[in-house]
Amino acid sequence: MTTKESPQAVDAGMPSFTELCQNWHRAAENLDRFNRMLTTDAKIAQTPKEVVWTLNKAKLYHYVPVVPEQDRKPVPLFMVFAIMNRPHVLDLRPGHSFVEYMLRHGYELYLLDWGEPGPEDKNMCFDDYVLEYLPRAIRKFKSVSGAQEFSMLGWCLGALISTMYAALRPDDGLKNLLLLTAPLDFSDQEAGGFTRWSSNPAFNANTIVEKLGNVPGEMIDTGAKMLKPIENYFGSYSMLWDKIENPGTVEAWHAMNTWVRDIIPMAGGAYKQLINEFYKENKLMKGTMQLRGETVDLKKLKANLLNVIAEADHITPPCQSEAVMDAVGSEDKEVLRVRGGHIGIMAGRGAEKNTWPHIEAWLAERSGT
Amino acid sequence: MSQSKDNQTFDPFDPTGMLKQMRDSNMESWSKIMTDFVNTEAYAESTGAMLDAWLTTSGPFRKAMESALAQAMAQLNMPTRDDITRLAERLTNIEMRLDDLDARLSEPSKSDNTQPTN
Repeated sequence: MTTKESPQAVDAGMPSFTELCQNWHRAAENLDRFNRMLTTDAKIAQTPKEVVWTLNKAKLYHYVPVVPEQDRKPVPLFMVFAIMNRPHVLDLRPGHSFVEYMLRHGYELYLLDWGEPGPEDKNMCFDDYVLEYLPRAIRKFKSVSGAQEFSMLGWCLGALISTMYAALRPDDGLKNLLLLTAPLDFSDQEAGGFTRWSSNPAFNANTIVEKLGNVPGEMIDTGAKMLKPIENYFGSYSMLWDKIENPGTVEAWHAMNTWVRDIIPMAGGAYKQLINEFYKENKLMKGTMQLRGETVDLKKLKANLLNVIAEADHITPPCQSEAVMDAVGSEDKEVLRVRGGHIGIMAGRGAEKNTWPHIEAWLAERSGT
Repeated sequence: MSQSKDNQTFDPFDPTGMLKQMRDSNMESWSKIMTDFVNTEAYAESTGAMLDAWLTTSGPFRKAMESALAQAMAQLNMPTRDDITRLAERLTNIEMRLDDLDARLSEPSKSDNTQPTN
């Protein structure tokens, strides 16, 4: 096959044998690196911490402070993550970690990791998370830290759990409540893929739980990815290939992918409750949500509130987080809208410039004695 | 690695170049089409129905398998999954009792606050 050389090719000249070899070598290296990124785990969640409490699969971590005691904020921060993911995204990698950032700013940090539910936990529901596990973890946290007042940060379903706890136990010392991408209001049944799917009569959460017990992580992961199939199944990998020679981008992608791949099941009872009582019936906002016979009245939530909303969130659309501002009894409340997605607002490239400083500034004002 | 070329010639060092060009020109529209598609009522209904059908049809097989395994384990004098699960539930209950005891022991007792007088 003969090809007519274009003028540009003549200008550029034919590559030498050495250049050819170097190019092929580079291509092979890139392919190898790409493969490693997909099949290996990055080192994530490396900030030093100690376990101070365990119950069943749940663990409470205390991060080792990095500033002298006299420079630390008197009000510690207690972090609650979602129940169907690992919480490592809060401490993704050295140099890009919310945990590291907050430690540097003098906060005492505690993190509640719900752990991976086993078959014996299939009946665990929000009643247990909110009124059994969380109060016990907080009891221990207060005992260890010696603090009577504390701040709590809840992300995604962790925010839902934190909100219900704050409403049910308003006098437990909770001073500041930070909600990140909180799915609380499901009145708009057209907003977001999850709401559309779960509100369809053909979707039966009871059958899923009855047949499977805990909902497999793969099912939840697939559901989340199918909300944006092209980006998640194609765009993410093609972006990695494009930037394969950029160590910073590759490292960031690898860390995030490690966290994304580490999927865990969701307790069946909680899943059933989430779909039926929250997504379908919107009980929390209607004021009819009951946990162990106690009605969750959001008006009783008195803590200072910062509600962080991701404007491009396809998992928790902004409308699911907005209405809580009028429902709570807090006098000091603020909404922070951030450009980005469900995870990106806290773990993306812009988080360190946009989200974290705002959260820290808001908290610093309210973390004095 | 990305060596964007204005011309459409095949570059042996960037075999994905053509794919990239296709992607760059079509990705946004693909994404929008797919996102709109998964948000349709028809998609929600068909997914729900498929999931329900799969769970319903696979249920009896799963039950038969579990029952056969339970019998086999019993024959071998080995605990079944249910036995382990029940044991784990009991352990969790014990853990909770211990947690309460630990909390009680950790509380500073009232007598600690009263200083002995000489």
